[in-house]
Amino acid sequence: MLTISRRAGERILIGDGIVIEVVEVSGGSVRLGITAPKELRIYREELWERVKAENEAAARADFSAPAVPPDPA
Amino acid sequence: MTVNSSRFGELEVPDEAVLDFPEGMIGVGGSRFALLTREENGAFKWLQEMTQEDLALPVTDPFQFFPDYEVVLSDEEAQRIGITDPAQADVLVVVRADEDPGQVSANLLAPILVAAGVGHQVLNEAGWAPLREPLLSGGRQEVAAG
Repeated sequence: MLTISRRAGERILIGDGIVIEVVEVSGGSVRLGITAPKELRIYREELWERVKAENEAAARADFSAPAVPPDPA
Repeated sequence: MTVNSSRFGELEVPDEAVLDFPEGMIGVGGSRFALLTREENGAFKWLQEMTQEDLALPVTDPFQFFPDYEVVLSDEEAQRIGITDPAQADVLVVVRADEDPGQVSANLLAPILVAAGVGHQVLNEAGWAPLREPLLSGGRQEVAAG
């Protein structure tokens, strides 16, 4: 992994279309400003992981359980 | 159109039931899903991926279970998917089944918006948007602060 040191107000460019700016550094947290092509989805990782896990669980769950009436066919 | 499903076997689905999901479902992918109705007037439908037979998600109309439910999109998300007002889209939420009916839950955090044959699973910015809300709870117990 590439690691780069930056101060507040400084930026990193990724390719032609993505700019990440360090907006504020305070205590243990960093605020980032991200400019990217609008078709790119940007997520907080932990939120993405939770939704991924929930989608996987929903796809796996046994739906023939009595919670839902079985298919009449 | 024919789709193979590890849950339902080989199915014939009408073209208009097939939805494009340009970015797939969050974390699990897929690109085209057939919206399957397994029971007339049933509360649940399925989104079956057209080429991944083991990827099928049960979904439901959230407003049937949670009359107060709201979907709020960030400006970026709305612009990205081209839906500025969630009321313009059909809303579905993913259901997680469980042997215990009281544990069956709906994912209100990441609803699926469908408009003009295209679907997107989005992150709901509304104040009340739990990841696992019991389907039979009838809605919010308390309004989240902030």
